[in-house]
Amino acid sequence: MAPVLVLWLAVCLGATWAVDRGNFKTCDQSAFCKRQRALKPGESPYRALLETMELTNTRLTLQLINDNNKVRLLLELYRLQGNITRVKINELKPLKPRYEVPDVLIRDPPTEPLSVLSQDENGVVLSLGAESQRVIVSVRPFRLDIMEGHDVLMSLNSRGLLAFEHLRMRKDTFSYKVTSTVASVWDNVKRVFSSQADPEAENKEEADAANQAETTKEEEEKAEEGMWEETFKSHSDSKPNGPSSISLDFSLPGVEHVYGIPEHADDLKLKTTDNGDPYRLYNLDVFQYELYNPMALYGAVPVMLAHNAQRTTGIFWLNAAETWVDISSNTAGKTVFGKMLDYVQGSSEIPQTDVRWISESGIIDVFIMLGPTAKHVFSQYASLTGTQSFPPLASLGYHQCRWNYNDQEDVRSVDAGFDEYDIPYDFIWLDIEHTDGKRYFTWDPHKFATPKEMLQGLVEKRRKMVAIVDPHIKVDSNYKIHNEIRSRGFYIKNKDGGDYEGWCWPGNAGYPDFTRADMRAWWASMFAYDQYEGSMENLYTWNDMNEPSVFNGPEVTMHKDAVHGAWEHRDVHNLYGLYVQMATADGLVQRSGGVERPFVLTRAFFAGSQRYGAVWTGDNAAEWDHLKISIPMCLSLGLVGISFCGADVGGFFKSPSPELLVRWYQTGAYQPFFRAHAHLDTPRREPWLFGPENTALIREAVRQRYTFLPYWYQQFYHAYRTGEPVMRPLWVEYPQDPATFAVDDEFLIGQNLLVHPVTEEGSRGVTAYLPGKEEVWFDIHTFQKHNGAQNLYIPVTMSSIPVFQRGGSIIPRKMRVRRSSSCMEHDPYTLFVALNARGLAEGELYIDDGHTFNYEKKEFIYRRLSFSNHVLSSVNLVPDSHFTTNSWIERIVIIGSSKPAKVTLKTADGNESQLEFDFDASMSVVTVRKPGMNAGADWTVTLQ
Amino acid sequence: MRFHILVIALFCCGSAESRKVRGISSSYKRFYREKKSFLCIDGSKLIPFEQVNDDYCDCADGSDEPGTSACPRGRFYCTNLGFRPHYIPSSRVNDGICDCCDASDEYNSHVRCQNTCWNLGQRERAFVEGQMRTLDEGLRLKQQLIEEGVLLWREKQAQLRELQQVAEDLQIKLEEHRRKKHEADRFKEQTLRALKGEDSGKSFLLFISHTIAPDEVKAEVVPVHGEERRLSDDEAGVRCFSVFFLFQVLVLCYVPGVSNSFWFRAVSNTLFFSFSLSDLQKKLDIDYGTDWEFLFLNGQCYKLTVYEYLYTLCPFSHITQKSTAGTEVSLGVWGMWAEPAKNRYNQMIYENGEPCWQGGSRSTTVTLTCGTETALRSVKEPSKCQYIMDFQTPVACQPVLKQRGVHSEL
Repeated sequence: MAPVLVLWLAVCLGATWAVDRGNFKTCDQSAFCKRQRALKPGESPYRALLETMELTNTRLTLQLINDNNKVRLLLELYRLQGNITRVKINELKPLKPRYEVPDVLIRDPPTEPLSVLSQDENGVVLSLGAESQRVIVSVRPFRLDIMEGHDVLMSLNSRGLLAFEHLRMRKDTFSYKVTSTVASVWDNVKRVFSSQADPEAENKEEADAANQAETTKEEEEKAEEGMWEETFKSHSDSKPNGPSSISLDFSLPGVEHVYGIPEHADDLKLKTTDNGDPYRLYNLDVFQYELYNPMALYGAVPVMLAHNAQRTTGIFWLNAAETWVDISSNTAGKTVFGKMLDYVQGSSEIPQTDVRWISESGIIDVFIMLGPTAKHVFSQYASLTGTQSFPPLASLGYHQCRWNYNDQEDVRSVDAGFDEYDIPYDFIWLDIEHTDGKRYFTWDPHKFATPKEMLQGLVEKRRKMVAIVDPHIKVDSNYKIHNEIRSRGFYIKNKDGGDYEGWCWPGNAGYPDFTRADMRAWWASMFAYDQYEGSMENLYTWNDMNEPSVFNGPEVTMHKDAVHGAWEHRDVHNLYGLYVQMATADGLVQRSGGVERPFVLTRAFFAGSQRYGAVWTGDNAAEWDHLKISIPMCLSLGLVGISFCGADVGGFFKSPSPELLVRWYQTGAYQPFFRAHAHLDTPRREPWLFGPENTALIREAVRQRYTFLPYWYQQFYHAYRTGEPVMRPLWVEYPQDPATFAVDDEFLIGQNLLVHPVTEEGSRGVTAYLPGKEEVWFDIHTFQKHNGAQNLYIPVTMSSIPVFQRGGSIIPRKMRVRRSSSCMEHDPYTLFVALNARGLAEGELYIDDGHTFNYEKKEFIYRRLSFSNHVLSSVNLVPDSHFTTNSWIERIVIIGSSKPAKVTLKTADGNESQLEFDFDASMSVVTVRKPGMNAGADWTVTLQ
Repeated sequence: MRFHILVIALFCCGSAESRKVRGISSSYKRFYREKKSFLCIDGSKLIPFEQVNDDYCDCADGSDEPGTSACPRGRFYCTNLGFRPHYIPSSRVNDGICDCCDASDEYNSHVRCQNTCWNLGQRERAFVEGQMRTLDEGLRLKQQLIEEGVLLWREKQAQLRELQQVAEDLQIKLEEHRRKKHEADRFKEQTLRALKGEDSGKSFLLFISHTIAPDEVKAEVVPVHGEERRLSDDEAGVRCFSVFFLFQVLVLCYVPGVSNSFWFRAVSNTLFFSFSLSDLQKKLDIDYGTDWEFLFLNGQCYKLTVYEYLYTLCPFSHITQKSTAGTEVSLGVWGMWAEPAKNRYNQMIYENGEPCWQGGSRSTTVTLTCGTETALRSVKEPSKCQYIMDFQTPVACQPVLKQRGVHSEL
């Protein structure tokens, strides 16, 4: 306790209840951002050199020249399978290689042939395959326009903001002068001794000439401040490679809504940044973050979606360095009246959103995902970076966390509390205090003296545990992990070549270089049962502080000039957290011999992190606005592939009022990752500590979660297969309804559940937008029917969680809520069949063992359930799948049905039997009693 | 409107008899007599008797499925012969976890539960016997402590009265001396004037009195005793004493040949008495239980080491935590008895300890439990800066506990 206190003091000296903005850079304080942003739209100095164009079957290459400094760039253009265009721009001859992000793409994206449609001195038109899509490469100034028919879908460098800071020698240093002098002397010597015309020498001369030109030009460029060294607060960044930033603009005609580029505590619909800072992507441990601003947070996914009623497209900017994104719009300033006026006068300019990406180093490598629908974009992005890993079923249950459960007795009594108050849960979590002095992979010898005994206790309740393993390693020669990392040379190095050290929870700590595959393999091996003492099959892992968090580092993170082998931390920063989770998840897979699915929660993330587990929105606070922001934050993550998202239920900092806590449980119960968590300094808040009424409300919310687990699981299977988000914004399903475009106080789970949580204090009602002209929506509690395309006012009490099932859907649920999801494994299903206006409904039923990779071998039951012409049937979707279940169908609830005369079940063997049923005339609900067939069987149920 | 259509039973009824009585206590058996139909116990619905315990929930109150997990609000009766019978929620029937010691809840699951009722019963009986012994012994000791407490109380009361008497006497004496002093002053002034004549530009403050707050008194009592300093060297023989009396500071100056020594002594006596008096009064103001049975704890301290900390509980006074590194922090000073309606002497609250990092101060709730010894049994810090202690003592033993015992199946 005492050391933590001291650390807190050290870290948050002078901190109040809001983020200390002064700890984090604005664009103005980030030298490259300031330089780049100073460049205003105008004519680009870049020109395409058509004579250098080369077209092979898979790619087009073309040189670009900057007419100001004569530096040449190499443009590569690829047409990728699935309607994706990849544009890569690098220096033609960089002084040294520039960083290209590895390990994020799941493979070399398969290409499709490109062909030239026409060409003249002004440019070249390329065909992008079948869909009448073309790329126009304009020569002077260089720009790219992606067209479909007569429409421009997207333009690159149309505002002339392509800027590529080429690598250069530092001129004011002694070594530069010596090097260049020696080089020219050597050239002269060579020339004297070479009698023959040496082609190489000739080339060299040419290059020299170019260099000369470059040099003279460059000398005119004023050496701006911050190019070779930069200081922020007391930290200096040595920048041995000098300026290296890149920038490119994208214009999106017809687009008024852009989304994505998490992680920001902001609305779903991104705002224009003209009057403030750009959105920043730089993984940071932000203490007590503020809401509704573009500041960087723990994770970064450089993917933006652009949407209008006709089309959805996406931009994936594959760069792991610090990145800033500017958004401007020609309609942003206009009032609704102004827009109307434009419309009436017919003189309206097309709405357009302009986006500009700026990164500190690396290359331009951008994937333009051309949709045309949001679901196409999801699948395009998934084809590049993979889909959400399919989590163990139990991890979709409720998680009970706290910093900290103090000892084994504490764990035992909290576990017992859940039984006493009859609230289900699957995972109990241990934060940093469980370790022996913040040495991860160890246990406090007194408080957690017999971890296996504790874990066995949980096994007996069919529950699980998560223990934290952070990537900062205590520098302590008596600590095995540290000694091994040091002796293998696995630590990140500082600029002077020694092991990088910084302050974190254990005090002085080293940071393993997770960018190294050999380091990751070693790390993974540490999770083996014989290495990680006290671990068992039901112990899973939580990676926190992996931005990485360095308490005494610049912006509470690592110095950019720290060294990862050939690269600087600057190049790889946003990727670090992904690697930590990757290695940890690998460890959990390997310890089971590749059989069991891992569960790893991470705070930092990057594009591709969806492949390794869950993320949460970091250290939020017990405030109503933080409850509200959990919706857009997770929606934004879902749009860029990361479905397994949640916020700390109750809020991490501060203490929630019972009302806020109850509302947060009710919201969290309908969000993908459902975990309560609390700061060390807050009073206890296990669900039963707020009086019997609140306990009952929380119990009911958690129980609702458990009844929907089959649906959640199925949604995650779907996300794993398709890359579509589990929790999704309304506009994804109703892309032509502009009323949905900015909605972020409600959301969909899959296609079929609409959730509008109560997130206002003292609320007596909420207004939910029910989308879809053709749709009907049924209240899941009362079965009351509501038409789509309306704003519905719903009166609420403390027990209300407004949730609606879409008419036309079938949702399987398990209504026997037990202590944990494992206890419910063999339970029977209730099918909720909600009929649409045409009396139809469809759904799926997915069942497997819930925890192994055997689903990859088709060991599952995957069935289509459909209701039409008064017949409900179950059909195998994957005939060669093989799995058996004990689960059966105990009840069928048909909502929106007329009263049948009789209900008949027909099984696969042809047997027919009559079923008993109830009919509720007030809500038009038929409840079929105990049809009893196995959930994996073929059957039909007919209403006559 | 409800339809009940009898259908061909889908489930075998071979073990119907045993199935139907499953999960019912004997007192409820009357509701489940084999008949044509079954009326949900809340009277809400009449169902065919075949539908009792058929693994489908028909009654809103769950009464048709006492032996299965079908009803969300149902409960299952563990007979637990040899141990205590009890109800478990229906959701724990066949969930793969053994809940009833007679294994009756897992009749259709993959786990093999052992019947542990006899062992548990044995253990329980042994435990209860132990508890009873502890209770008997505890109550015996408590009686002693009560008797001692009463005596101690009386003794302290007598002491108090005595002190009050002395104080009163001294007060009277003091008044007398004040009066005398006043006279002496006048006399002294005259004398001084006579001694020094007109050249005496210095004035002597013979009495300086001002009021100070009562709680400052305690803090300053130590330096006061015997404090003596020379006011000025050139006034040889003139000494001043500052002392505290009845929340007042008196600066007394002794001028040779003027004042008299008896006067000073009387004042110091009064001072001493007034302090032991208020201390005792404060202590006796605390609620020591109906029979003063907790009085003996006053002045005692109990220690316990938990992990790296040594905890010290001094009942009715304070609690501290000392780390192995040696730093000691206060976890609170005596505040009050917590008052959960029934038994108001089972929880003590100590508050206003060392301040905490995020505001507030450390506090401790001490729960008293019955035992034959008086000792600190456990310390926990469930939330930051909020401690809970388990403190065992015979005086916490309550005769009512004796009612408890092993209930066996009726």
